[in-house]
Amino acid sequence: MEQHYGKTEITFAALAGLLYTISGIYHIAEGIGIDIGIYEGMARSLFISGDILGGFCLVVTGAVFLYGFKEMMQGINAGVSFLYVGILMSLVFMMIYLLIMGGNLLDSFIVPEDYEGWSIMETFRPGIYLGILSIAGLLYWRDRFSLHEVLALREGA
Amino acid sequence: MTEKITVALAGNPNVGKTSIFNAITGSKQHVGNWPGVTVERKMGKRKHKDVEMQVVDLPGTYSLTAYSLDEIIARDFIIEEKPDIVVQVIDATNLERNLYLTTQLMELGTRLIIALNMTDLALAKGDSIDVQKMQEFLEVPVISTIGSRGGGIEELLDSVTKEIHRTRTSENIFVYGVEIEKSAEELENVLAEDPYFSHYPSRWFSMKLLEGDENIIKKAEESENYPQIRKILQRTDADSFEAKIADQRYKTIQTMLRQVCNINTDRLSGSDMVDRVVTNKYLGIPIFLSLMWAAFEITFTFATPFMNIIDIFFGWLAETAAGVITVSWLASLVGDGMIAGVGSVLIFLPNILLLFFMISLMEDSGYMSRAAFIMDKVMSKIGLHGKSFIPLIMGFGCNVPAIMATRTIEDSRDRLITILITPFMSCGARLPVYVLLAGAFFGRDAGIVIFGLYALGIFVALISAKLMRSTIVKGEDTPFIMELPSYKIPTLKGSILHMWERGKIYLKKAGGIILIGVVGVWILASIPAPGSGGTFASEEIYGTTDSMIGFIGQIIEPLVAPLGFDWKIAVALLFGVVAKEIVVGSMGVLYGVGDNEDSLSEILAAGAMTPLAGLGLMVFTLLYVPCFACIGVIKRETGSWKWTAFQLFYGTGLAWIFAFVLYQVGSRMGLFA
Repeated sequence: MEQHYGKTEITFAALAGLLYTISGIYHIAEGIGIDIGIYEGMARSLFISGDILGGFCLVVTGAVFLYGFKEMMQGINAGVSFLYVGILMSLVFMMIYLLIMGGNLLDSFIVPEDYEGWSIMETFRPGIYLGILSIAGLLYWRDRFSLHEVLALREGA
Repeated sequence: MTEKITVALAGNPNVGKTSIFNAITGSKQHVGNWPGVTVERKMGKRKHKDVEMQVVDLPGTYSLTAYSLDEIIARDFIIEEKPDIVVQVIDATNLERNLYLTTQLMELGTRLIIALNMTDLALAKGDSIDVQKMQEFLEVPVISTIGSRGGGIEELLDSVTKEIHRTRTSENIFVYGVEIEKSAEELENVLAEDPYFSHYPSRWFSMKLLEGDENIIKKAEESENYPQIRKILQRTDADSFEAKIADQRYKTIQTMLRQVCNINTDRLSGSDMVDRVVTNKYLGIPIFLSLMWAAFEITFTFATPFMNIIDIFFGWLAETAAGVITVSWLASLVGDGMIAGVGSVLIFLPNILLLFFMISLMEDSGYMSRAAFIMDKVMSKIGLHGKSFIPLIMGFGCNVPAIMATRTIEDSRDRLITILITPFMSCGARLPVYVLLAGAFFGRDAGIVIFGLYALGIFVALISAKLMRSTIVKGEDTPFIMELPSYKIPTLKGSILHMWERGKIYLKKAGGIILIGVVGVWILASIPAPGSGGTFASEEIYGTTDSMIGFIGQIIEPLVAPLGFDWKIAVALLFGVVAKEIVVGSMGVLYGVGDNEDSLSEILAAGAMTPLAGLGLMVFTLLYVPCFACIGVIKRETGSWKWTAFQLFYGTGLAWIFAFVLYQVGSRMGLFA
């Protein structure tokens, strides 16, 4: 049977899965106050916040990529579904964080007195820069992102 | 001369009947990508070539053996009211199951036209359908349509006008084997003797009796000839006959399909691939939770600047009104009553619209059905099934249509439990209370607090269902069969329209019932209490314990004092029974936002309430007695004052216990001190 993925898909799923999962775990650990050995300066420069539920979303996205990686490694053709859906999910979360940033920026013009000493980078989150990886994925596999097009062979077909 | 006819749109759930109805009549009925959007029949009109058509959009049904209330509505309309033409809308991507209903409609002898809908999706999937051949086989007109874009509608209407005058040359009869045919013939002879049955096609009626259709047997019981019918039925095995009849119908369908279409089953579509992930047994629920979190985060955070704009506007309006109106009581009525009350509610319009937009995206994309599917495992542990989860999710928008959506649930006990637990799902009207209090006391964590309240609503609903299932509404588990519709990319226009459909109800309420409510609160806050001796709307009386509202509040305050609430909150909760938004509106009036430079949240955070009491108030608002409209629909759908009263007392009791434990235990532990 023809294989519908290659090394690029497998490497992408593994890389994105690890980045999202680790980033999410750092978020959660920071939120519940567990020291997992990340330097404060590094956490700041990676924009890790103590947002527990935001961290949970990153872990879930990472898990979707890693599940796809596992299935593709097992030779399951439809495992590539997890890669595409993982990309879509990460873009959804990227958009959410960008909207939140935009909302805060707009609010800082409307009620500037509430935002004294505030910087827009305070609302910057890893979901945004990690999403750039997914944009690259979306562009690379853009012909696969259609709901109604037939994308892959069913197992055993 | 204009001819008047009735055209019924029938078909399986989620095949696009309402899209076609909207395209024909120009209406804007709600269209959703999940089964069970239409639970009542809807009427519209269209004139086409001198024929005035009354078009009726019926709820979806899989067969004419109706199980759920919405299916009974559809079936009864076709059988009892005998429309001139039945247009069966068929999902071209799922022909086999859709044609099962066709066989029954043909057997019923209705004048039938088939609208082969979603043909674009079938083509994209790689299927090919020979419409002409299908028409020849079925001997009924078959028209290709794309309801969402209005494709094929003119051809469909042309066909209706032609069909109404066509002389029928054949009858569609399916043969089910000697044993069934013999019993059917005997029944037909009995039915022919009684004029009571002349209203129904005797062949169809006898087949339904042989299938053991409870609804049809009930109708037969009213006939004088029923003893003879019963005698025949006693000799038959309804279950075995029903299976044989269904089997024969499917054989006929498969024979036809092999010759008229080529269905692509070798490949996975994009929808299949997404489903593989979002319905995964390990990842399905975490994905659902993370998407819900994203929806609430946007609802709270992105709405903030728009809320501030509205807040600034109402602040300016109150100031202007105070400067222009010289009569003091009138200035107070307009500033402290109308502007403060309605403004306190309208400030949350951006949150409401964003929440509705998110729900629209879930519905329009088809994810709603998946949410029900992945929750089936959890639901089955509490004795319900995934189908009950759809009304629960719809309850996030408004509990009233959500309770009506329970009509799609076949089992009456499952339906009753779902009705009773739906008010625990936090509707949009409660959101202003959460946004106000979470924003005042929990700052940047407000989104998490609000998400937690929605999760608490689901938790209480599930635990309550389990409790009811094992005590007062006992029953067996029923199997869950649900069709997962194909995913569709929601259009911005469609989602904004759906958001607006719901959002305008909120706006109408603000200008109607909420305005009346807050004026009522202002009047009561201005009238001196018995024996206080002050003057109407004076500063010494307004909103104090010496006012009538203070008098009422103090009477009920002991009931809520153990929860950390004062008399003002007690009164706000009392008025909130009319509509939940009035809780915030009343607080706006009673805490004097109109002439105060600070917003209501600033007043509360400055010490008018403790964070723990604020959290308790959110929990209480989530669980206590629903609004008047919701109470009305619970009564209508359960048909019982007893169950309605049960829901009200159970919910309010739970609300009190939760808020009491939270406040008392939290105070002792020094939480949020």
